[in-house]
Amino acid sequence: MALAFLGVLGIYSAAAPGSSGIFVRQFFWIILGVGVCLIVASVDYHLLVDHGLQFYLCSLGLLGGLLLFGTEINGSKSWIVLGDVQFQPSEIVKLAVILALAQYLGQVSRNRLTWQHYARLSAMILSPIVLIVLQGDLGTALMYLPILAGMTLLITGLRKKLLLGMLVFSLVVAPLTWMALKDYQKQRILVTLDPDLDPQGIGYQTRQSQIAIGSGGLLGKGIGQGLQSKLGFVPEVHTDFIFALLAEEVGFVGASIILMLYLLVLMRLIHIAETARDRVGILVVTGVASLIFFHVVVNVGMTLGILPAIGIPLPLLSYGGSSTLTTFAALGLALSVFQRRFVY
Amino acid sequence: MPIFQDNRKLVSRLGWVRALFAISFFLFFIQLWFLSVLNHEHYRQLAEQNRIRTFPQIAPRGLIYDREGRVLVDNVFEFNLLLFREEEHRLEEAVQFLKNGLNLDAELIKEISRKSAGYDRYQPVVIKEDLSMEEVAYLLAHQPEHPELGIVKQPRRLYRYGNLAAHVLGYVGEISLEQLQQPNFAQNKPSDLVGQYGVERSHNQALTGIDGLRRVLVDSRGRNLSDVENVAPIIGKPLQMTIDLDLQEIAEAGLGNDTGAIVAFDARTGEIMAMASRPTFDPNQFARSLSPEEWEDLIDHPESPLQNRVFQNAFSPGSVFKIIMALAGLERSVINASSVVRCTGEATFYNRRFGCWHEAGHGKIALREAIQHSCNIYFYNLGQKLGIQDIEIFSRRIGLGMKTGINLLGEVPGLVPSEKWKRRARGEPWYPGETISVAIGQGPLLATPLQLARAISIIATGRVPLLHLVKTTPDSPKDAMPFVLPVDFASENLEQIREAMWSVVNDGGTGQAAQVANFEVCGKTGTAQTISRAVREELSEDSAKRFEPNAWFVGFAPRNDPEIVVAVIVQRGGTGGGSAARIAGEMFEGYYKKHRTSVSGSIVAFTQDEADKIL
Repeated sequence: MALAFLGVLGIYSAAAPGSSGIFVRQFFWIILGVGVCLIVASVDYHLLVDHGLQFYLCSLGLLGGLLLFGTEINGSKSWIVLGDVQFQPSEIVKLAVILALAQYLGQVSRNRLTWQHYARLSAMILSPIVLIVLQGDLGTALMYLPILAGMTLLITGLRKKLLLGMLVFSLVVAPLTWMALKDYQKQRILVTLDPDLDPQGIGYQTRQSQIAIGSGGLLGKGIGQGLQSKLGFVPEVHTDFIFALLAEEVGFVGASIILMLYLLVLMRLIHIAETARDRVGILVVTGVASLIFFHVVVNVGMTLGILPAIGIPLPLLSYGGSSTLTTFAALGLALSVFQRRFVY
Repeated sequence: MPIFQDNRKLVSRLGWVRALFAISFFLFFIQLWFLSVLNHEHYRQLAEQNRIRTFPQIAPRGLIYDREGRVLVDNVFEFNLLLFREEEHRLEEAVQFLKNGLNLDAELIKEISRKSAGYDRYQPVVIKEDLSMEEVAYLLAHQPEHPELGIVKQPRRLYRYGNLAAHVLGYVGEISLEQLQQPNFAQNKPSDLVGQYGVERSHNQALTGIDGLRRVLVDSRGRNLSDVENVAPIIGKPLQMTIDLDLQEIAEAGLGNDTGAIVAFDARTGEIMAMASRPTFDPNQFARSLSPEEWEDLIDHPESPLQNRVFQNAFSPGSVFKIIMALAGLERSVINASSVVRCTGEATFYNRRFGCWHEAGHGKIALREAIQHSCNIYFYNLGQKLGIQDIEIFSRRIGLGMKTGINLLGEVPGLVPSEKWKRRARGEPWYPGETISVAIGQGPLLATPLQLARAISIIATGRVPLLHLVKTTPDSPKDAMPFVLPVDFASENLEQIREAMWSVVNDGGTGQAAQVANFEVCGKTGTAQTISRAVREELSEDSAKRFEPNAWFVGFAPRNDPEIVVAVIVQRGGTGGGSAARIAGEMFEGYYKKHRTSVSGSIVAFTQDEADKIL
């Protein structure tokens, strides 16, 4: 429960600096999210996990359908528009994937994985990835990998063979992906290494984000005073770069507190994982933790300029119904596990 | 679900996960610290530069007035288009946009941005001046798409009377690279307008105001949100000239399309009341950046419109020089009032024939008549008697051969020939035959209209005028330079010459065209040959026209207690008694009407009859 509370706190302050219209909306999503969280928490997670495969297949179907019927926003065909509301299924699908993976891996009794397992796992993870990449949203697609990694590694541990395999894999795949990357994506990576490479073009986002954060100073400029962000110098400031806005307004101190909150949430999740009653439970929670962790890492890293800019929202803080609901649902799952840790 | 699951290993790995989380976040903290605290100042500045735009507020230059406070040079405000160059990648879009909307040549814009590459990056560049209201509306409508453009109100110099007194007033232009290096321009930046010519230049320091600035908060679309700082510009100091607008207009009209120069000043104070030169130019052309073609037109013009012929060109004075000859002769007691010479229309000196313009000859002639009718023979004789050395001495004593020191650029000293000069300049000795030519103001002798005017002024008043263009106030620097030679000619000699000059105009002499009723104008005409008559006779009529002699008239009025001195030269104007004298007469008349017939302040006297009629 503490989890949810922390989360809510986070969002509340996030939406405030923005313009009022968005605030109201996001608030709505938050309320809804809390509701969802509670509902999910009350359900026995086993139920959900057992149907993991079904969920998974449905999601694939959904993603496929998007390709055909989806609405294109910002260059990626990942949205469903229902009247006033925009909906991004690729977020929800993450949950399905967690459930499906949990279901599958939960059946592995030993702590080793065979080639068969790996093959299946690859297939399971690649399908949604490919579909999402086809939609044009590379960033979200990338997020699936860590989820897989997190959950799998837990089981297998860092074995030499595995490490080697991963190394080989990266070495092989990296140059391929490099070539496959679109130009602007390549630029983004280059710019992370040398921010002054092209301050006006590709590096603009990161640079402006850093300027906003840096100008926040120790204590920040005050809520509502984040001029860099407010005046439009930081792009995507309500969604992907919201951390920059926060840092500008509440300064180092405030931003650190926010980071601490996330850390707390994550630690709490781990604790839940430690006290879960069965393997499936552990896996689910680990999946949720990976989900949140990697989102936070990538987003904050990108805002700070450590990582190249990838379009990933900051869970619970960025404006966006799909992301918020998904996160809340994920937290709900974890809560569900926690609740049932003693039931035998 | 398997019954037994060994999850211990899993759980232990969770410990690693915690560690992973902690480390990652720690890294974030470090980076955050780095940005927010360590480099805070750096980013704060960048943030400011992002969102605060500095609009220059150029100070208008001080106004320039004539002697009676009428505005000659003013400022008007116009809307100019600025390009902010902080974000270079927007330039291409801007160029395209401007080309479509404002019909601006894309090349011009590129050239401007190239030229301004050396400026400070945060200094905006003016792309187009004097936008019309439609253009302003168009630009404002599209402002959000083009935050790199801005509109600003800036002053432009306006020369109210077009080309009137253009050479005196001068013009302003963009500061050159060389000028920027000079210490007195240390405060200037590129693209500043500074006075380049005339009084605008010589008094640039006083006329230049102090620029202000306006710092505005803008959003990423370039919209002005609020003023952060507003420093009002301070207008430059005003300048009051000694020029009289009315007389100047008469001078300008008098010259019309002829090539030449006129200068008129107050003999008592040295205040220059009119100074005109033809051909001329319109300084308003310069107030806006001149196109290369326009500039070339001015530079390559065969008659050099940018030259002020009043003191930047020296000419043969012709018969006007006879006045100075007469003074020299009297002072040296080589002649007196009754010395007589016989003029038969020509004479022979040193085996050469020299003629008088009056081919029939003047008969027996003394000094007064010689001046009155401008007899060459008389002065040939005088020249022979005096010798070139004395001629040189007196020429210099009356100010020829040296600058007047007037506070404008480009004055030339003219030329007073001598033995020494000839040897140095031409490597030959002086031939006495040349003295004969010099005696009537021909030969290598050269003088500017300003020098001749000053010389006549000395003769008229016995004092040296301190020539200046700007009214001396406690604030402004004194414009005149002191005259260093002794002026102590015998007053009876001066009086004799004045009498003779009076007769030139008022007693049937060569200068009758300069006569003004009730105003005793005294003067001397001059008809300066530019090529020898022999050569001219051989030319075709068309060519001959190009070598018509220069017409001179130099004079003062009134005869007693002279007030105004006027010098006129009309190049290729024919005889001095013709065009030059007539124009001078108009000047004198204008002065007379203005200063001697004013109704205000004078008592209107009615005759008895008139008074009865009224009552």
